Amino acid sequence: MNRSVLTNPYVLIAPGFFLAAFIILWPLYELGTIAMSDVNRFGQIRGYAGFDNFLSVFRDPEFLGALARTGVWTLGIVFGAILIGLPVAMILNEDFYGRSVARVIVMLPWAISLTMTAIVWRWALNGESGLLNSGLRTIGVIDTNVQWLAQAATAFPMQIMIGILVTIPFTITIFLGGLSSIPDDLYEAAKLEGANGWQIFREITLPLLKPFINIAVVMNTIYVFNSFPIIWATTQGGPANSTDILVTYLYKLGFRFGRLGDASALSIMMFALLLVFTIIYVRLAMRGDDK
Amino acid sequence: MSFKLSRKWRRTIISWLLLSPLIILVLFPFAVMLITALKPPGEVLRPNWWPSEFRWSNFITMWDATNFGRALWNSIYVAFLSTAIALVVSIPAAYAMSRFRFAAKGFFRQFLLISQMLSPIVLVIGLFRLVVWLGLLDNVNSVVFVYAAFAIAFTVWMLQSYFATIPKDLEEAAWIEGASPWQALITVFLPLALPAITVTAIFAFINAWNEFVIALTMLRSQDSYTLPIQVFSLVAGRYTIEWHHVMAAAFVATLPVAIVFAWLQRYLVRGLALGAVK
Repeated sequence: MNRSVLTNPYVLIAPGFFLAAFIILWPLYELGTIAMSDVNRFGQIRGYAGFDNFLSVFRDPEFLGALARTGVWTLGIVFGAILIGLPVAMILNEDFYGRSVARVIVMLPWAISLTMTAIVWRWALNGESGLLNSGLRTIGVIDTNVQWLAQAATAFPMQIMIGILVTIPFTITIFLGGLSSIPDDLYEAAKLEGANGWQIFREITLPLLKPFINIAVVMNTIYVFNSFPIIWATTQGGPANSTDILVTYLYKLGFRFGRLGDASALSIMMFALLLVFTIIYVRLAMRGDDK
Repeated sequence: MSFKLSRKWRRTIISWLLLSPLIILVLFPFAVMLITALKPPGEVLRPNWWPSEFRWSNFITMWDATNFGRALWNSIYVAFLSTAIALVVSIPAAYAMSRFRFAAKGFFRQFLLISQMLSPIVLVIGLFRLVVWLGLLDNVNSVVFVYAAFAIAFTVWMLQSYFATIPKDLEEAAWIEGASPWQALITVFLPLALPAITVTAIFAFINAWNEFVIALTMLRSQDSYTLPIQVFSLVAGRYTIEWHHVMAAAFVATLPVAIVFAWLQRYLVRGLALGAVK
């Protein structure tokens, strides 16, 4: 065979590799430089600052609040999506009339941009004119309007609820893949042995789904931790930063407060944390490979 | 004839009953969007569900009031061009991944996995400085460039998992017949790969169409806004919000993509799953 660029894999992957690496490594280098520098609000570097920016982030009470809320946000959505997603996936795995319609409806939130979803909810949750209040009043759940987005005590749970709703489709997709990999004869054998539904779930379904649950937990953790549009388009982290999570706080540091040094230091720390999550994911995914 | 429900019917009723709370919650925002979009302007702030009449002309007045045409064009331009660039560099890379064994293959796979996981949000300040340095701030091409680069991990991953299912024998048969590698690639491989390329392209397009943070950061004026930023700008920091126009715009911006996505969703799952096991 004559020599051709088509037979050299390095030539073939080079353009894609360099473009993808450039868009990560260049910004990362910039962030590293600013994070270690004394920098003014226009991004001009005035000198070396060591770890001052990192320390200043940790001294900011707003950061600690956002950090705690990120934990609640991530755990709430990841486990909420699994607790709802698992039974729903098991129902959708059964054969019943209209199943394909039910599947399409449950998957719908995945098809819509998060920005649009959040904007629609912002309107639905409006205190005076929102259709959620009027709907709840009609069925008698509340008798005065709730100002859902005006205080963190109602806004943040609502944002988590929206987050769960948009995370369920991806979670169910993973679970449906897992459920279809469990052979039917296992269930039949268990029934012959006289196992009831709960025992079958505990002894067969749950253990065999475990690798899929692991994947769903790690991937959802990464996505939810990074999720920006839901909070930004409903409250922009307000009122008074009380619904900020790390990504919205980071955005404000960089583009509103002009604290570029702090913002870069925070980016570097979040990048490191994400890398840890990702390595856990790669381990899980590659372990599946070895089989 | 017995009046007892068959097993399947009983299962159907129970399943729908159990699913109904979730289904109501999923459909609720769609109902809100459509009903608000069709209300006469005077009734929008009144919290009754059913309007006195359906004002379809809202969709026409929305077009000018929200500067929809310009944003639509920007979104199409950005999504189309970034997808095209990502594909041009991803197809050869995915071909190499599915056809050759080479030393750096494992490294490249891990690199792809990791970069697929990294969200632009943690790099956004560095990306902003890069775009300023390139002199592309408030220029839609900056967004094209960033989207294309971030799409590569996903497109290579999807494409290689499909390419690996195309048997190599066909190309080898063409080589034996005397075809050059280029001829074999163009006449034998690419036609077979076309469905996979199309599906991958559509998903990359939808991702670009829906992206928020990068566009919010790089695009600074109405002339360069893409649809999500344009619709967001209609509600952010304004005292009077024309909600019927906002909902009509959100509906038109969302619906075509949502239908295509719902239709092609199973290929996404299959591609990602194939990529994970191969």
